[in-house]
Amino acid sequence: MRRLIALCHRLLTWLMVGAVAVLIVPVTLQIVSRYTELIPSWIWTEELSRFLFIWMVMLGAMIGVREGTHFDVDVWPALSPRANALLKLVSSAAIFVFALVFIWWGIDFVRFGWDQSSELAELPMVYIFAAWPAAGLTWALFLGESFVDNLRIVAGKTPA
Amino acid sequence: MSGAAVLTPSSAALVLFGTFFALMVVRVPVAFALGLACLPVLFIEPRLSPLMLFNETFKAYNSFILLAVPFFLLTANLMNIGGITDRLVRLSRTMVGHFPGALAQINVLLSVFFAGISGSSTADAASQSKIFIEAQVKEGYGLSFSIAITAVSAVLAVIIPPSILMIVWGGVISTSIGAMYLAGILPGLLIALAQMVTVHVYSKIYRYPVYPRATLKEFFVSAWQSLPALFTPFIIVGGILLGWFTATESAAIAVLYAAALSIFVYREMDLKHLYHAFSETGKLSAVALFCVGTASAFGWLLAYYQIPKALLENVASWHMGITGVGFFIAFVFLVVGCFLDAIPAIIIVGTILQPLAASVDMHPIHFAIISIVALAFGLVTPPYGLCLMISCAVAKVPLKFALKDTVIMLIPMLLMLAAIILWPEIPLILPKLIAPELLK
Repeated sequence: MRRLIALCHRLLTWLMVGAVAVLIVPVTLQIVSRYTELIPSWIWTEELSRFLFIWMVMLGAMIGVREGTHFDVDVWPALSPRANALLKLVSSAAIFVFALVFIWWGIDFVRFGWDQSSELAELPMVYIFAAWPAAGLTWALFLGESFVDNLRIVAGKTPA
Repeated sequence: MSGAAVLTPSSAALVLFGTFFALMVVRVPVAFALGLACLPVLFIEPRLSPLMLFNETFKAYNSFILLAVPFFLLTANLMNIGGITDRLVRLSRTMVGHFPGALAQINVLLSVFFAGISGSSTADAASQSKIFIEAQVKEGYGLSFSIAITAVSAVLAVIIPPSILMIVWGGVISTSIGAMYLAGILPGLLIALAQMVTVHVYSKIYRYPVYPRATLKEFFVSAWQSLPALFTPFIIVGGILLGWFTATESAAIAVLYAAALSIFVYREMDLKHLYHAFSETGKLSAVALFCVGTASAFGWLLAYYQIPKALLENVASWHMGITGVGFFIAFVFLVVGCFLDAIPAIIIVGTILQPLAASVDMHPIHFAIISIVALAFGLVTPPYGLCLMISCAVAKVPLKFALKDTVIMLIPMLLMLAAIILWPEIPLILPKLIAPELLK
């Protein structure tokens, strides 16, 4: 299971890197098309870049949960590893709730996008809206993993 | 529309802020705390449903303006791997290396150069922490001092053009981005000057080391080498003023220019580092931007219950003059900046304060610069100061460690902010001279 999660993590990272790398292309085309006749002024360059951007943000937000890079505020004095793990359990439970909301209402959200297509390129919006429940699912998966780890520390089974 | 709302503005505010702070205390990441804080209200209010959370986050990310965030981060990362940063360090050394506290002065000056190319303070903090903190400690500077100066000088990146915050401000509060860019130059340089003076005083007290003075030839050689990189701000600001490209497109231009310099001029790019640059860019910009989405939802709910209006009703009765309002705005953004990242703060608070600024005829550009400088300082104020958090993370110490020196360094910077509030000419003079048509 852990290997599967790690694989999923790597796959998501590659996808995100791909999104970042490609993002520059439509914006460049947009500038170039304004000044030359070489490229037809594809009006959907702007839309394409926005959609790539949405996926980049959502993919990065998914990865961030496993890597623990979402910024938090620390108001506590130095805690013992056990208290620290306990606090992590509480905060990951909260994120888990958010993940469930993203899955449950995310499916509604996708259904809502089923009969919508984008304004310019007429892309089905489902491809975009799917990022939300997908994020919920990956968060739940990643949180499950760290939940087990922290539970063991709290129970005193693994020295932190 | 809120006439039929179940919750009164004050009870809604209590639920929203109460949940947000409670979650923050148990170390739920800010982005999630903001989203989760919306939920109780969405369930209580029969007219609202959690789907609103999706609509608002989608609307926030579906914005061409915010594309500038990953682009400016990518520019910064390309500068680091492509040899641009190295050359700018060398140039800075020939310019300020003979001052007391040489390396720390270089740290500040490099931030000024960096600010002219990338518009992201977090990128500046991330890259310069790696360059300077360890090197400064090795030369005998205090660790806390080294962290603090790296973090506070990083805030220049969003004050000196180009700037992510100004692009977002222009998108949210429709103010001319070109005019803000010009207006940011002088305040940015003044704040840099204040920081260099601070470094000087520190260095005299603690006897920090000095490098031998560089010869004039060395200066010209490194200036020549850095010239293509130093040209970037002129391309960006000039291109926007001349209407060649939009602000977001200018961020893409910065990426292309940095890439071109790294590949063709300095020739220090390889695929492994490129992958790394892409991945760092994606990770940092995504966590920052995800928070923008949930903050937008939070801000939308505040507006739904007309909470801002209720808060401002009292303030209007104080009958402050233009200076009073200026200080009030700066104070609000400084406080908000302690708890929120700057982009969400603009989205939630900037729009609230705009009518107040307009009511005393404060110039929109003056309003923008006061707010952006105050928010930039928020990047180093605890508990949520991203630049300070990044620098401390690189040095592997808790945030509290560098707090005292950061506060000391903030004092002269705050004086500069006060000067900007008192004399609107400081930000307004350059746009007046160069592009008066933008000021209307």
